[in-house]
Amino acid sequence: MIVSLNWLKEYIDLNGITVEEIVDKLTTSGSEIEEVIDKSEEFKNIVIGKVEEVQKHPNADKLSVCKVNDGQEIFNVVCGAPNVAKGQTVPFAKVGAVIPNGKFEIKKAKIRGEKSEGMICAEDELGLGDDHTGIMVLDNSLKIGEPLASALKFNDVILDIAITPNRADSLSHIVIARDLAALFNRKLKLPNLKTQFEIVNKSESAEVVVENQTGCPRYTAVVVKGIEVKESPEWLKEKLISIGSRPINNIVDVTNFVLHEVGQPLHAFDLDELSGSKIIVKDNGSKNKFITLDSKEREIHSTDLMICDGEKPVAIAGVMGGENSEVTNKTKNILIESAYFNPSSVRKTAKHLGLSTDASYRFERGTDPNGTLKAALRAAELIVEIAGGEIETKVIDIYPEEISKRNVSLRFDRINKILGFKIDNEKVLKILEGLEFSISEHDDKIVRVEIPTFRHDIEREIDLIEEVVRIYGFDGVPPIEKISNTLSKKIDETNFEDELRFRLTALGFNETVSNSLISDEKTMDYSRSIKVLNPQSMEMSRLRTSLIPNVLMNISRNIKVKESDLMFFEIGEVFKSENDQIKSFEDISEHENLIIALTGNKNKKTWYQKEIPFDFYDLVGLTNKSLAKVFANIKVKTQFNLESSELFEYSFSKNLGKEILGEGGKVNRELLKKYEIENNVFLFEINLSALKSFDQKSNRYYSLLKYPKVYRDFGFILDKNISYNEVVKTIKQSSSNLLKNVNLFDIFVSESLGKDKKSLAFKLEYYDESRTLREEEIDKEFWKTIEAVKTNLNAELRG
Amino acid sequence: MKEKIDQVREDFLKDSSSVNNSDDLEKIRIKYFSRNGLYANLFEEFKSLPKEEKPKFGKLLNEEKKSAQSKFDELKKSIESQASKNTEYIDLTLPGKDRELGTLHVLTQTLNEIKSIFKGLGFSVYTGPEIESDENNFEMLNFPDDHPARDMQDTYFINDSFLLRTHTSPVQVRLMKNSKPPYRAIMPGRVYRNEAISAKSYCLFHQVEGLVIDTDVTFAELKGTLVYFAKQLFGEDVKYRFRSSFFPFTEPSAEVDIWWQPKGKEGKWLEILGCGMVDPNVLNNLNIDSEKYIGYAFGMGIERMAMLKYGIDDIRLFFDNDNRFLNQFK
Repeated sequence: MIVSLNWLKEYIDLNGITVEEIVDKLTTSGSEIEEVIDKSEEFKNIVIGKVEEVQKHPNADKLSVCKVNDGQEIFNVVCGAPNVAKGQTVPFAKVGAVIPNGKFEIKKAKIRGEKSEGMICAEDELGLGDDHTGIMVLDNSLKIGEPLASALKFNDVILDIAITPNRADSLSHIVIARDLAALFNRKLKLPNLKTQFEIVNKSESAEVVVENQTGCPRYTAVVVKGIEVKESPEWLKEKLISIGSRPINNIVDVTNFVLHEVGQPLHAFDLDELSGSKIIVKDNGSKNKFITLDSKEREIHSTDLMICDGEKPVAIAGVMGGENSEVTNKTKNILIESAYFNPSSVRKTAKHLGLSTDASYRFERGTDPNGTLKAALRAAELIVEIAGGEIETKVIDIYPEEISKRNVSLRFDRINKILGFKIDNEKVLKILEGLEFSISEHDDKIVRVEIPTFRHDIEREIDLIEEVVRIYGFDGVPPIEKISNTLSKKIDETNFEDELRFRLTALGFNETVSNSLISDEKTMDYSRSIKVLNPQSMEMSRLRTSLIPNVLMNISRNIKVKESDLMFFEIGEVFKSENDQIKSFEDISEHENLIIALTGNKNKKTWYQKEIPFDFYDLVGLTNKSLAKVFANIKVKTQFNLESSELFEYSFSKNLGKEILGEGGKVNRELLKKYEIENNVFLFEINLSALKSFDQKSNRYYSLLKYPKVYRDFGFILDKNISYNEVVKTIKQSSSNLLKNVNLFDIFVSESLGKDKKSLAFKLEYYDESRTLREEEIDKEFWKTIEAVKTNLNAELRG
Repeated sequence: MKEKIDQVREDFLKDSSSVNNSDDLEKIRIKYFSRNGLYANLFEEFKSLPKEEKPKFGKLLNEEKKSAQSKFDELKKSIESQASKNTEYIDLTLPGKDRELGTLHVLTQTLNEIKSIFKGLGFSVYTGPEIESDENNFEMLNFPDDHPARDMQDTYFINDSFLLRTHTSPVQVRLMKNSKPPYRAIMPGRVYRNEAISAKSYCLFHQVEGLVIDTDVTFAELKGTLVYFAKQLFGEDVKYRFRSSFFPFTEPSAEVDIWWQPKGKEGKWLEILGCGMVDPNVLNNLNIDSEKYIGYAFGMGIERMAMLKYGIDDIRLFFDNDNRFLNQFK
């Protein structure tokens, strides 16, 4: 909300308080100032000047060369305005001034060969009007040399305040002034009303019927007759312009002025346009169209609350008036509406219309039900003052059930208990009174407070405690240096992931963090994916069912910037649903996945090694290494698959019984094409939540081996199609438990070995934890293994 | 016998001190360790010693030979390495043979820092799902239906009753539903806001929420805890202020700003977190006696912390995963 400091000064004496203090106090007490605009700064280096001499420019017909006096010096100024003349008092922008409209700085210049040291300004250039026909000629009584800002009384400071949703009452100058009064301990001055009036339900000139009382608990209408609609006086236009509201005519301007003064939205109807001089407040009843005063057609629902006359709707209650009854230049008699509408009713209507107005914004946050009459009379008095006419002393006020002030009790020791320090009782009472809360009664333990109806947000003791500390100042709360800590069990549910992250980065992986909202097209498990009801764009319309699209997008994006050697991992939630309708959490399967991905080369080409591209075996090895600790505890089996799928050209999976926990492999070319990736990509994705649910194996100490290990090497030539797995199985089956490790150290595939033959070479490691092994015993065991491999696998021992 | 042994040792030490090359070494080998060398001779003589002296000299002789042999081996090694150095190509200024390190995402690093500060204060760490019920995300936290407070957080909906959580506060609700106070926990996680993507906002971000409920916690403790946190993260001399604010689930509520002074630019207050005393309505909603128990809660954006700490000026960088960006945080 925009607030003018000059306007605030109508209600509070701010003498001796700096703008900085005001900004600081308001901000820390809950009205955050987002911007401060010092109007006088805008006119810096622009002064009142006198045109002493005007001559034709020697080289240009339309230009003049003037001598301008700024009270101290005479400047040579080239001016293009046709109306410039000797003796004029003008706004003169000196060198260094920044012209408000267009934000350009005045510099020394030569224009067509003539020196120019400043500029005589037009109205529009200063942002003071629309006129650009010539320079602005000012009153001769102004003092030459005086800054323009102070000469024209542009000394205002504008504050842009962020309003929290609880403080509906903050939306006016008086309320900000009220906070300032409490904060700086000053008196609040409210405008006085002079009108004598009588409350009626129906007068000679108008009648109001409220059919929907829930939607409209109070409707006040004041009639003013015999007015003249015209431009508003300067003071009123200035006030509205200062807060960025465009003046329209004296009637509308007054209603806007009162809105920003007290926060009560008002609407002025042309009384003669109201059929039957009647106002009926009721639900629309059916679905139809309505033209609002901004000349736009709006779709009205049957449940929207409407203001109608004897025949037709004339306004959308609390949102906007209709074109059919707006005040025009011909209007003579008006009815001022000042109502209290139900906040949620206005909110619903404004929301479906997609229309937020100054009025709806305030109504949906809750206005003061007991302030409607005062606001209407305030407006009526101002109208009479500037537009003539007469206020009807019979004021219509439909308010069947009075909304009374709440009473809330506050225990002084509760303040201490919540805040952790003591605020003097006297100070507490003073703060409450400063906010116009009336103290009904109090002793040294408890105070009963009557809450004015403009503070909808104060209902409970805790609300009062907040008010007290807000005005007292959070700065005054001592940050204690000791904390209490109940010694209960401490848990960290992120340990498991953190340990994995630690392993993966140690292995050389970079961690990525990606958007979990992706496009329909990229969604992997489309039929089970979950759609967002109100996506921002089609690119982000579904929740990911897998981290694969993310990792491929990341790889694609990186390759485009020439980062093509990548080791990525990501841990993130994936989402699926077995049911079309999500009715409970059981219908949602949300769990955490881990993905690792490799592409490009393992290492750069250097003086000591060649580039080695990543391959399938890197993926298998890195998968096993990163998850070693998890797999150590459960019987996870690895299964290999040479057949290609939509996802992989060949793959492996990690299975627990029949359940596939994770799957990885060489990513299918066709899939990569969709991501514009030409390089090979190897990736593995696993359900981490499933792994997390198993007990983690904790490391345990085994005494160090005291006896030597014994090694034996051998190589075989065998059929190419016999897998490594089969050979190892045979080796292990033919050995005793003295064989501890089998290490494949060479593999060679060549026709020179025979057709479809390959050679494998192994190093076998033997030891016993309790004794030194004898060479002969190992030889015997080793030869048994050789024989087994030879006979079972039809292999030939290499020399 | 003893004298002879001493003599051989002295000679050996003398000879070996003047070895310069492999030829000298070979001469020593022949003189002392060959079949007819001085040590072999000593062993020959040992055989003719009287029986009672044998154990004593046997031991001595063995030790002597062993120590001489090891001295000889050492010499040999050093002569050989000297020789190889003369033939091997050496340029010590060649780049070292390094290995690429992986790195945690800067958001994880920032979160780790935040976690470690709070774990140091005895906080537990809890997590919760990203698809939440309206009940856990709003209702229980005192956001009435159809209240403007709901506008504060632009929400992605799945349907009428499920949504993508807009804050990590529903983890608080889960904690309070599932266990009894006292609580002292932080809850990190991903949250979603339906906001247009720009340098300043993204459709999702990460939060850390804190909740402490006990019989004797106060606003002063909340302030002390958060001031301690800000000093740990941003330095002992960080300038801060607490500013009154509004959140439906806390009262009184405040936001914490720190004074931010980039080099060569104008300084300003920047909001780093929101906090407050848990609203009694929230406690009552979860069947916690709001007279007996008092709580405080706070929440901060991890992206915002990382942006401040590392001077990152575009939030989208976190989610683009450009390797050149990731590698900056090794």
